[in-house]
Amino acid sequence: MTTVRTLIYRNCKLFFKDKGMFFTSLITPAILLVLYVTFLGNVYRDSFVTNLPEGVVLEEGLIDGFVGGQLISSLLAVSCITVAFCSNMLMVQDKANGTRSDFDASPVNPSALSASYYLATMLSTLLICYITAGIGFAYMGMVGWYLSAGDVLLLLLDIFLTVSFGTALSSVIHHFLSTQGQLSAVGTIVSAGYGFLCGAYMPLSQFSEGLRNALSFLPGTYATSLFRTHALEGALREMETVGLPSELTETLKDVFDCNIYFFGTKVSQPICYLVLCGSTVLLLGLYVCLNFGTQKRK
Amino acid sequence: MAEKSIIINGLCKSFGEIKAVNNLSFSVKEGELFAFLGVNGAGKSTTISILCGLLQMDAGQVLVCGHDIADEASTVKEQIGVVFQNSLLDSSLSVFDNLKSRAALYGITGNAFKSRLRELQELLELAPLLKRPVGKLSGGQRRRIDIARALLHKPKILILDEPTTGLDPQTRQTIWNVISSLRRDNKTTVFLTTHYMEEAADADHVVIIDKGSIIAEGTPLELKNRFAFDSLTLYGVSEEAVQRLEEKYERVGDHFRVILSDVSQVKDMLLEHPELFNDFEVVKGKMDDVFLNATGKKGLGGDLS
Repeated sequence: MTTVRTLIYRNCKLFFKDKGMFFTSLITPAILLVLYVTFLGNVYRDSFVTNLPEGVVLEEGLIDGFVGGQLISSLLAVSCITVAFCSNMLMVQDKANGTRSDFDASPVNPSALSASYYLATMLSTLLICYITAGIGFAYMGMVGWYLSAGDVLLLLLDIFLTVSFGTALSSVIHHFLSTQGQLSAVGTIVSAGYGFLCGAYMPLSQFSEGLRNALSFLPGTYATSLFRTHALEGALREMETVGLPSELTETLKDVFDCNIYFFGTKVSQPICYLVLCGSTVLLLGLYVCLNFGTQKRK
Repeated sequence: MAEKSIIINGLCKSFGEIKAVNNLSFSVKEGELFAFLGVNGAGKSTTISILCGLLQMDAGQVLVCGHDIADEASTVKEQIGVVFQNSLLDSSLSVFDNLKSRAALYGITGNAFKSRLRELQELLELAPLLKRPVGKLSGGQRRRIDIARALLHKPKILILDEPTTGLDPQTRQTIWNVISSLRRDNKTTVFLTTHYMEEAADADHVVIIDKGSIIAEGTPLELKNRFAFDSLTLYGVSEEAVQRLEEKYERVGDHFRVILSDVSQVKDMLLEHPELFNDFEVVKGKMDDVFLNATGKKGLGGDLS
């Protein structure tokens, strides 16, 4: 156990000391923030306002709180995955620069090495994502805070589960990589594509039905929906309090992916959690099998 | 008689069509300095990788301190410390952090690590380097840290894969002093690959491989006698005078080098031609010549009159 702890410390320290890895991991959240400040905020805002029926007027603070909720849900849904991929780069870099040979020449149990990569990635990613969430909460506090303590706790739980999923996914994919070139290619694809695939940049409800159905097979979609639900729930509750009919808030939930559908069937929150946890367990099992296979081949 | 630290029998390893190691067999005695030589691509690194458990062999047997690497890889790895050709430490971390994380691989943590670090600090003069990032150290300093890393778990066998390549003579000497003290004080077996033949000349036993197979082995003296030529250098004499010796010779600058098939020839030459021996030296064959001649490259004795 002490060996794993020491290796986790080494991996985390390398991640935060390696400016390349650390700043790469912050690129996606940074791009999202820039997009939000430059135009995405207005897009979200216009999209929300156009979905309101004629004659319905809401306070600016409530609209800002809703749009802010969209921002932090998008930010967290993407960051939990992309930061995990960047943080887990170390696993491949150790292979590419030969450090892994140094480890393999020692009698350390390979499962201790695998566990240390997984746990270090999870710790680093959680740290960054919780800080991001803290900044997001502070922003929402400024523009319009409508979250309950329960919403906040559920958002924190969503972060934990999505980071676990992202770490497991990156561990499995990175297992097959051994060069910097492959690592860069995967990093670029994930950073550029994941936000669209999981519906973080644009809600899935805006996509065509075929694409929506295809994307509903991806576990990340359900993570985004959970983030959306818990980040927007407070603002939607407040809208009902100020007189918006529940049918309308239900429509808003559909439009902004708080309600997620699998081939037309609404997926409940517990099922979303089940999909997220189940896929994490499956990926972890695969990661263990892959490492066991490699160990046997050696 | 010394125990065998390493026994390799019929070792084979291929990469596709290329036979990197081809039926290799040799042994290394406990406490000896063993030089494993060969041109680039001869199969040295492949053999070392198999020895360290980094590569699987196709056929053969490797025993380290009596343990078969195929069945007891973990036990074998506890007996071996490796200094790789290139430093594999984390360049952005401090020397202390590097050694701490590598010691943990052997279960050496807490007070056990501190105590071992103190010993290594003394042996390798690490104290001023501990807080510095490995990436900021000079080549020689980094090599000392590599050796410290290899010695963390007090291995019985130290594998040095070209440990002094690219280092200045002073640093090379420092590294060799450390290795000598390890052999003297701890009876550590040293398995060395090097391209500096003068380092191999101090070995107890030398194996030269080419295309994955042994082409020569023995003590440096045995190899010199077989593959190198002793020579007599004569200064301040004319070529006509040298010709009177009726031996093969070559002009080197303003002096002449006479190739000797047997060093005892010099005694007779001295008695027969004392006028040639006002200024002279007898030089034993060098390991460079052994290496070049054994591997089929042209060595001393190639361009002779």
